[in-house]
Amino acid sequence: MKQITLLGLGIIACIATTAQDFNKNIATARSSYSSGNLQDSRFAMEQVLRDLDIAIGKEILKLLPTKAGTLAMVEKEDNVSGTGSYVGLYVNRHYGADPKRASIEIMNNSPIINSLTAILSMPVLGGMMRDENQKIVKIQGYKSILNKQVNTETGKTNYELQIPMNNTLLTLKMDDTSEGDITAVANGIQLAKIVQMAQ
Amino acid sequence: MKIKYACALGVALALGILSSKAQVLNRLKQKVSDKTEQKAGDEIDKLFGGKKKANTDQSGGNSGANGGAGQGGAGGNNPGNNGGAGLISTPPDVKQNLIDAEVAYKKTSYGEARYAVQQAMLGVELEIGNKILKSLPESVVGLTKDAAADQVTSTGWGWAGLTIQREYKGAKDKQLNVIVANNSVWMAGVNAYLSSGGYAQQTSGQQNWKQTKVKGYRAIIEFNEGSGYKLSVPIGQSSIIVYEGINFATEPDLMKAAEAIDIDGIKKELGEQ
Repeated sequence: MKQITLLGLGIIACIATTAQDFNKNIATARSSYSSGNLQDSRFAMEQVLRDLDIAIGKEILKLLPTKAGTLAMVEKEDNVSGTGSYVGLYVNRHYGADPKRASIEIMNNSPIINSLTAILSMPVLGGMMRDENQKIVKIQGYKSILNKQVNTETGKTNYELQIPMNNTLLTLKMDDTSEGDITAVANGIQLAKIVQMAQ
Repeated sequence: MKIKYACALGVALALGILSSKAQVLNRLKQKVSDKTEQKAGDEIDKLFGGKKKANTDQSGGNSGANGGAGQGGAGGNNPGNNGGAGLISTPPDVKQNLIDAEVAYKKTSYGEARYAVQQAMLGVELEIGNKILKSLPESVVGLTKDAAADQVTSTGWGWAGLTIQREYKGAKDKQLNVIVANNSVWMAGVNAYLSSGGYAQQTSGQQNWKQTKVKGYRAIIEFNEGSGYKLSVPIGQSSIIVYEGINFATEPDLMKAAEAIDIDGIKKELGEQ
């Protein structure tokens, strides 16, 4: 009970800090613009975009599952950042501990999103590039790429699932798992809500 | 024996007659078929009411815009566009977008707030770009500005940032393009080049690039027979000015043109240190 209260207080404190930053930066942007200082106004707007990305990231974290299969989330490793620029939003959550871990990563304008979309939208290209460890699957209606990786030392199989949604890429990684388990976890993520929030 | 010859002759004659009859029959059939096709074609033309005429007119009038469109990739008879004033350039209202962002943020519509801030940023960047364009000289080493080619480009993302372009043109296809880019990936490459000690200057053969200085700023000058001279001057942390000299006679000729631009003024306008 104490832990939940502390967690709640922590979230409220974070939101309050973001709101303060947002208000301060937008006030700076406005006053600088009014006084003709365009560069300072522009810089303040970049900060505002960063603040907004962080606020959006925190909302997305609330939507992410607290468990990935049997693995519990590691809350202290939750990571949200915003560059206020091209890449923008980045959200990361980890689950479990070594040797079995999982993670969900959400990134806007990822550099690899175009090549993933090309593989998914052009079957010819996908066919040429595909190997035996790569498979195209559908998760909640989104075409996704499932990569299988066998660890030669441990003999365990790790999976990585990449789900491109417009300009947002969600990547789910799970160690020592099966195709059925990773797709089950992916189907439990609120993809439609996340993409709506991230855009 | 005589009877045998007579029989053979008779058979040959009979075959010849049959063959010539078949040829005549084929010709007759062909004629009938041609006439039938022509008649059928006429009937179809009548059915579609003057289509034949229209087609003839179109093939004759290909010089018109419609003719061109008809022959174009769209196929069918889609008309080509002959006019229209284009899009109205409306820079976003910075103040209004900042207000919209604040309102959206209070409603926790963060996506909307972000869109509004991006629009505001686009507006500010366009204003910065226009101010820089105004600060550039009307003419440089006898070349006059081409006002129609003035261009400010911004994504409002603060990533590709801001690009400002001005063209100066003169006689004998001599042209100077001045491009100012802010937050440009381009300049990272030039800076890496300038700060790296690994690039040695050639002392023999054709020199196509070298380091130089413009008004105290370190720069790189390149020459390409096809495109002419190119001078890249990084300014501050994230901006660059690129001069492209087409049909410039010599390197000093381009350097003189570059000196005519107020680099310090642009640097100040971009907020660079």
